[in-house]
Amino acid sequence: MNIRHTGLYKNFGAYAFLLLLSAFVLFPLAIAVSQSFMTNQEVNRWPPKVIPTEPTLEGYRAVVTQQDIRLDLWLRNSLFAASGYTLAVLVICSPAAYAFARLRFPGNRPLFALLLVTIMIPGQVTLIPNYLLMRDLGWLDTFNALIFPGAANVFGVFLLRQFFMQIPAELEEAAVLDGAGYFGRFRHVILPLSTNALTALAIFVFLGHYNDLFWPIIVTSSLETRTLPVGLSIIQSSYAGQYRPMILAGAVLSTLPILIVYALFQRRIIQGVTLTGMGGR
Amino acid sequence: MSTMNQRLDGPRRLSLPFSVNLKTREIIAAYIFLAPFLIFFSIFFVRAAISSVSISFHDWRLLRPSTPYVGLDNYIDLFDDDIWWASVQHTVYFAVMTVTGTTILGLAAALAVTRPVRGQGFYRVLLYIPQLMSVGAIGLIWNWLLSGQFGVINYLLSFFGVRPINWLGDPNLVLPALSLATIWWTFGFPMLIFIAGLQGIPEHLYEAAKIDGANGRQAFWYITLPLLRPTILFVTVTGVIGHFQVFGQPYIITGGGGPGRASWTVIIYLYQNAWVGFRMGYGAAVAVTIALIMAIITAFQFFVISRRVEY
Repeated sequence: MNIRHTGLYKNFGAYAFLLLLSAFVLFPLAIAVSQSFMTNQEVNRWPPKVIPTEPTLEGYRAVVTQQDIRLDLWLRNSLFAASGYTLAVLVICSPAAYAFARLRFPGNRPLFALLLVTIMIPGQVTLIPNYLLMRDLGWLDTFNALIFPGAANVFGVFLLRQFFMQIPAELEEAAVLDGAGYFGRFRHVILPLSTNALTALAIFVFLGHYNDLFWPIIVTSSLETRTLPVGLSIIQSSYAGQYRPMILAGAVLSTLPILIVYALFQRRIIQGVTLTGMGGR
Repeated sequence: MSTMNQRLDGPRRLSLPFSVNLKTREIIAAYIFLAPFLIFFSIFFVRAAISSVSISFHDWRLLRPSTPYVGLDNYIDLFDDDIWWASVQHTVYFAVMTVTGTTILGLAAALAVTRPVRGQGFYRVLLYIPQLMSVGAIGLIWNWLLSGQFGVINYLLSFFGVRPINWLGDPNLVLPALSLATIWWTFGFPMLIFIAGLQGIPEHLYEAAKIDGANGRQAFWYITLPLLRPTILFVTVTGVIGHFQVFGQPYIITGGGGPGRASWTVIIYLYQNAWVGFRMGYGAAVAVTIALIMAIITAFQFFVISRRVEY
């Protein structure tokens, strides 16, 4: 797209709207950050104060010292479970996508069509049987329950298959001449050429898992295996009436890591979201 | 590079360990590649989906060993339950409001960002921030912003002469309030999809329209909007599916669906019955019914989206 930076005057409407929209987006965040530095008395006041008169770290101190709040542990749990899940999705889905995209075997087309049909069956239908299976396997309150049940991701297979199919067959033929077997071709030709698609899928499933609340609520029960969203929901239900700056400090602290990652990889993340979003078409 | 060197050495073939022809080898390889996926998919999806239907025909309670067969009783009870129908109504109301809001806001944002303005990339990155936050964090923040007593939303409204409103305590206002929070949280995804859609519209169409004397508004109504039709459909239908499954916002912001049951959604209903009331059989019937409703919506999506546009 060709971008011409014409004058402020000509695009006045667009500038005004973008400023308004930025204010709409930033305002709740700014209030949360600002009020997290207040005392409890200052927060519970009408009309509300927007800037703390004397900024204090009380809320932050409370949120890291409170016995039943373990933000650092919950963050580590979330990162671990989401990374484990992402890795499992990539390891399980990419070879399957390769088989569907490139290998001739009886049942390729019908099997793939059947998989596409199952996309229409929403995941809720699996919740109760999978919960009971976790219980019977003794996986309740373990990371296994957070990592494995969703690892066979049909959308991931679909997305990667589309991508693998666009890779020119000549590249693989060259590898065949070099004596590469199917695994060698997959590992040394297909995967290195697909880093964009693999990264996009990884970002997509990582963020989805990192922000999931329902499944972690039902399969985890102890403070030590909770993920960040579950932990935050517990803070809200236990302390809502009592200590607001601490709750806001929890929200701020839990958001910081993802914002740092976003600041570093924003282009890739935005590309990834767009690519996976369009892949769903 | 190593591949180059190998090619100079001449083609090398791996000797076959036992005598199978290439076709059979390919078939064996294919099933080895597929095996991990198929195993996981069979256990955690196929088995689970079938088992769900079977459990829904039983009076299956979590803490009781016997699970008598009850036929369609769970479905009949569900059909007779006013709370279920209220939850369906809340969910539809919430989803329609939220999808309308995110679609319009997402499109407006995409149009503004794709204008030749300074800092395009910056705005794109900034406006996508809320979408990256977890429902936990946005829940904590919006519960406080919407507070009837000390909330900043009421403070802003007070400048327009509006008296303090008890957003989360009023059964008529709680769903619009949750929807507002959700629009703020999730309009970034439609925005990115619309940006991609807008960039796919050929520039020459606008040039031709300009030559024909069309103004900006006409170009929007007669070029942009019709050509964005598939994108709008994609955004609205995936939005409906996503927001129909709303759980975290009422679970956190209204403490599990309050006031009373005014913000119970279908997934809250499922959670309350299966994991608070321990009624797995009834919960399975709820899950199967929700799945059916969503399958119908998704089938509709496949139907409309598979139709292509022509320029």
